[in-house]
Amino acid sequence: MNKVIEINHLTKHYGKHRGVLDISFHVNEGEIFGFLGPNGAGKSTTIRSMLGLIRFETGSIKILGKDIQKDKETILNEIGYMPSEAMFYPAMKVKDIIRMAADVRKKDCQQEAEKLCERLQVDVNKKISDLSLGNRKKVSIICAMQHKPKLFVFDEPTSGLDPLMQTEFFKLIREYVAGGATCMLSTHVLSEVKQHCKNVAIMKEGRLQCVDTVDNITKTSTKRIRMLRDGKQEDFIFKGDLNDLSKELVGHDIADILIEEPPLEEIFMHFYQE
Amino acid sequence: MFTIYKHEIKTYIKTLLIWFACVGGMGLMCILLFSSMQDSMEGMAESFASMGAFSDAFGMNQLSIATLTGFYATEIGTIHSLGGTMFAAIISTTMLSKEEDGHTSEFLFSLPISRSKVITAKWCASVTHILLFNVLCVGIYLLGITILGEEIAMKELLLYHVLQLMMQLELAAICYAISACSKKNKFGLGLGIVLLFYAYDLIARVIPALSDYKILSPFSYANAADILSTGTVLTEALLLGVGVLAGCICITYMVYTKKDLAA
Repeated sequence: MNKVIEINHLTKHYGKHRGVLDISFHVNEGEIFGFLGPNGAGKSTTIRSMLGLIRFETGSIKILGKDIQKDKETILNEIGYMPSEAMFYPAMKVKDIIRMAADVRKKDCQQEAEKLCERLQVDVNKKISDLSLGNRKKVSIICAMQHKPKLFVFDEPTSGLDPLMQTEFFKLIREYVAGGATCMLSTHVLSEVKQHCKNVAIMKEGRLQCVDTVDNITKTSTKRIRMLRDGKQEDFIFKGDLNDLSKELVGHDIADILIEEPPLEEIFMHFYQE
Repeated sequence: MFTIYKHEIKTYIKTLLIWFACVGGMGLMCILLFSSMQDSMEGMAESFASMGAFSDAFGMNQLSIATLTGFYATEIGTIHSLGGTMFAAIISTTMLSKEEDGHTSEFLFSLPISRSKVITAKWCASVTHILLFNVLCVGIYLLGITILGEEIAMKELLLYHVLQLMMQLELAAICYAISACSKKNKFGLGLGIVLLFYAYDLIARVIPALSDYKILSPFSYANAADILSTGTVLTEALLLGVGVLAGCICITYMVYTKKDLAA
């Protein structure tokens, strides 16, 4: 399977402050890849490095088989990026922003843009300064999708979108991915990852905590334990060998015990807080 | 690259028209008022020419304000040089920094266009606006002169406006480099630089000890009274201006192409 994104030992500092440290992972062609982590974990730094928006100290990034430091313009022509902050020139009209994004790519995207505007219910004659955050996000989605890129990079795409639009947005992503595109989805909404992503990377404090399939992560040795020990109700996440747990329980009065797969939310919280 | 250029031309078109209406309008008004003021100015011209440092600073020792050429040099020359350089400073100081100030840089730089091309497109847009401003202003001044039906030293007048254009481009390049270095719009700083150079030029014309250093200000080679009275160019100052312009554009490319997107 072709690797659309290949990041090897990426390290970036902002002066004395840590950005990301020794990040390595890859994203395969045709998948929706989840990118998770708390605020300040380094997700945006990784994405911005991938797009050549910031320079990094060590490591390498290949997008669609090309080096981002050498072929930035060619790579960006094949990427549809939606930043978390959907900001445009306030005095311009929506249609002018959409046309500007298409013109820079030297592509006629009118047909696709019209289709997207209709599905996302965007009024193209409105001025950007008159739009709410949700509507600016829709414009950002159109700018990212209208040229039918090979790779989508979305940074917190659904914040500000109403549930109907969120559903429409993921429908669109699935359609483009079915057509051969790849998608990297950075988000805080775990249900989105569970529902749409096959693989996921979890970041914390600038380091990569794990990269695996969503299924494998939920099937790890992490268990949710509920028990009545020595007359006290206990409820916690346990990660490790269950034999160690049984040894720990020797000598205690265990009236009841339930060992189960924890929900995805709890596993991620466990990674975040670990 | 042309898309960015076109975008910037559209963005600043209102600013251009407002500054043209103010500067060009004031210039035209002064020209049209000349005939009604000519009689009273004949009496004042001699006293204005013998006011020592004041006359030196404003060039009234070189030309009589009772003639259209002298009046143009002292009145329209001041309005145009200050107005033109302020306009150039405002558009150039905001041209690059407005992207980070308005949080639009992430949208712009995620498009398939390099930072070098953005610099080139935006600089070309600045130059186009400055050029248009001068063409429109000179056009309206010439219209005023034609309506007035007075004679003026045309060759010197055109030379003066070419040098004005050069001065505005030099100041625009300084402000463009400032724009490349800053994350916020600094048009206050741009205007401050213009006024500082203008004040320095006036002072250098009055204080003999500074006369050798007056070339440090771009206003020295684009002075209306000097050019309209002699028809010559202060070559040293002009060459220094060309050097400053080229240097500032190089600094802009060096700084801005190595800049990271603001966090």
